[in-house]
Amino acid sequence: MAIPGNKDTRDGIIFALPFLLVYLVFMVFPLGFGLFISFFNWDILSSGAFAGWANYRRLFQDELFFSSLWHTVEFVLITTPVLMVLGFSMALLVTGNSPLRKVSENVFFIPYILSMTVVGTLWAWLMQRDYGLLNQIVRQLGGEPVGWLTNPKQAMWSVGIATYWWTAGFNMILFSAGIKQISKEIYESSQIDGANYFQTLFRITIPLVKPTAALCLILQVIASFNVFGQVYVMTGGGPHGRTRVLTQYIYEAGFRYFKMGYSAAMAYMLFLIILVISVIQYAALGKERS
Amino acid sequence: MRTHNRKRAFIAIALIGLMMLSTLWAAGSQEQKKQEGPIEVTFWSLFTGGDGEFFDAMVDEFNRTHTDIVAKTDTVKFDNYYTKLTTALSAKNAPDVVVVHQSNLLGYVPRGVFLSLDDLLAKNNAPLDDFVAAPLEAVKYDGKTYALPLDVHALIMYYNMDLFAEAGITKVPQTYAEVIAAAQAVQAKTGAMGLAVDNTTATYKAYTLTRLFMSMLEQQGTSFLNADNSKANFNNVAGEKALKALVDMVQVHKTTPAGLDYDGAVNAFRLGKAAIHFNGVWATGSFEKQTGLNFKAVGLPPMLGKPAAWSGSHTLAIPVQRTQDPAKLDAALTFILWMTEHGDMWAKAGHIPTRHSVYEKESFTSLPHRKDYADAASFAFAPPATPAWEEVYSTTSDMLEYAVAKNQNVKTALQAMETKINSIIASY
Repeated sequence: MAIPGNKDTRDGIIFALPFLLVYLVFMVFPLGFGLFISFFNWDILSSGAFAGWANYRRLFQDELFFSSLWHTVEFVLITTPVLMVLGFSMALLVTGNSPLRKVSENVFFIPYILSMTVVGTLWAWLMQRDYGLLNQIVRQLGGEPVGWLTNPKQAMWSVGIATYWWTAGFNMILFSAGIKQISKEIYESSQIDGANYFQTLFRITIPLVKPTAALCLILQVIASFNVFGQVYVMTGGGPHGRTRVLTQYIYEAGFRYFKMGYSAAMAYMLFLIILVISVIQYAALGKERS
Repeated sequence: MRTHNRKRAFIAIALIGLMMLSTLWAAGSQEQKKQEGPIEVTFWSLFTGGDGEFFDAMVDEFNRTHTDIVAKTDTVKFDNYYTKLTTALSAKNAPDVVVVHQSNLLGYVPRGVFLSLDDLLAKNNAPLDDFVAAPLEAVKYDGKTYALPLDVHALIMYYNMDLFAEAGITKVPQTYAEVIAAAQAVQAKTGAMGLAVDNTTATYKAYTLTRLFMSMLEQQGTSFLNADNSKANFNNVAGEKALKALVDMVQVHKTTPAGLDYDGAVNAFRLGKAAIHFNGVWATGSFEKQTGLNFKAVGLPPMLGKPAAWSGSHTLAIPVQRTQDPAKLDAALTFILWMTEHGDMWAKAGHIPTRHSVYEKESFTSLPHRKDYADAASFAFAPPATPAWEEVYSTTSDMLEYAVAKNQNVKTALQAMETKINSIIASY
């Protein structure tokens, strides 16, 4: 394999070095530093005081931590299943024979290119209770205006809807890559055997796209657990803290209230939760495959 | 072969090194430039949208009239100003002058990141007696001055003159009962919204509730926190009266729709669909631009007693630097003083000036509306000087919002708020 006289390892390191340096400084170091400061009371600006496990103990007594965690879980449950189904359905459409295939691929993916702030602001205005477009339509149809973002029962769903629109395109790309990998011969032979569309879908496409679905599910759950921007821009955590998610509380504790240590401790709790869930998912899905 | 390889590796490493160096170089040469010509004062401001253009115009005017100093903003507008400011302050590479809200300033001061200005002010003979007392007092911490106030932005009352006339209201309502009566009269006679007060968080937190609650406490001669800002001070008769006034607006008198958010309230008034609107002075600019809106802006009425109104203040502060250049400090102070002295230009954005001399300028008195609420500065009070304020403020807003939305019993609500606020203060 190795060409004589070539130092592959050394050259490899040199080529990877620029990236590695950035990665070490901006990823590995902050990760370690975050863990370090979670054991301190530190306000960024002055030097910190060692706090031991105090930040972690406090978190278990903090109602706001638990309510924010619950709101995050709620968001994961609201978004994950729908985004999976939506992404898969879109992928079916763009990999099929429909004449709209090319157009819809672009239409589905374009929202994902937009920045979070743009998407959040856009949907916040569409959903504004008194002057938003959605309620104008509701009024035209003779309905009562809906408090999309201001009604505590609907606010999280509204954030979910904006998220569907924003990120379903990404899942579509994953799923369509998975579908395109399925060998054409399988479809051809099933056609010769006279299988109809739904038989092909349920007997061939879905079983063979399972590894992609597993990957997609894990990525989606992680992404949903880390939700921040949509909530921050659209509802500001309101009404009365009803949609405050954990990442938002972490952000507020750290950068608005200057409780960096406490903020880092909560971030590490979130990390642990995501880690455990991902490992369980990975193990469960892996077992199924073998 | 080996030497060839070594040469290649050397070139690769040298190239990487060069790329890194060049960024350092660029930073270094910028440092050097400052030595020649006029002194450069860098600043950050947090003004976007409406306010921003007036602030930029002031900076342009400053630069036009000063040959020895150049004021420069070295960044674009921020998405998140305070996050950037905090990191810059902690790295000690913040600009020479920064704009900070008075309520945020006091969160920073105990951390020693802002320069105490007293010596500098004395050295430059700053005309401190030209400043309005209340806002100048509000930037002091432990007796030292840490910033100079650029403006006061108090909570005021806007009312729609056409809707008032249509409903036959001739006197500007003063007491809570009068405000409610006027709002109800307008609702009955015109079908417009009586009292546009945001009470639900959407894109903005329902801070108006906290601002009103604090104002109503002060109107009854008491404060939100106790004298040394160590405990909540609203779980009492005055607090009950103030909270009841807020809840009743929505739940009993029905003058304010439930679920109204900030954008909804502002736009209702702007489009002439609401009779009375409580908001900060900053809304004046956008209301003025609205054709067909015939409105007046007056100081917050003394609804529950004597006149008192919540107010914020934009202040100009000087961050502590690694090496403090005295010439630059003087230039920075010159810039700050000039900005406050030209509060008439800033008043175009709706803000109330902080210098007595500005009130006499023709360019200020000729502005519409401003003088109608300028006296609000005299009964405006600042938020309490505690590092816990940011968390107390947003938590209170959430809890008041909850109390109003759920028509909570005022005693239960205040009890819960008191417990929560006390535990927050204790955690600092």
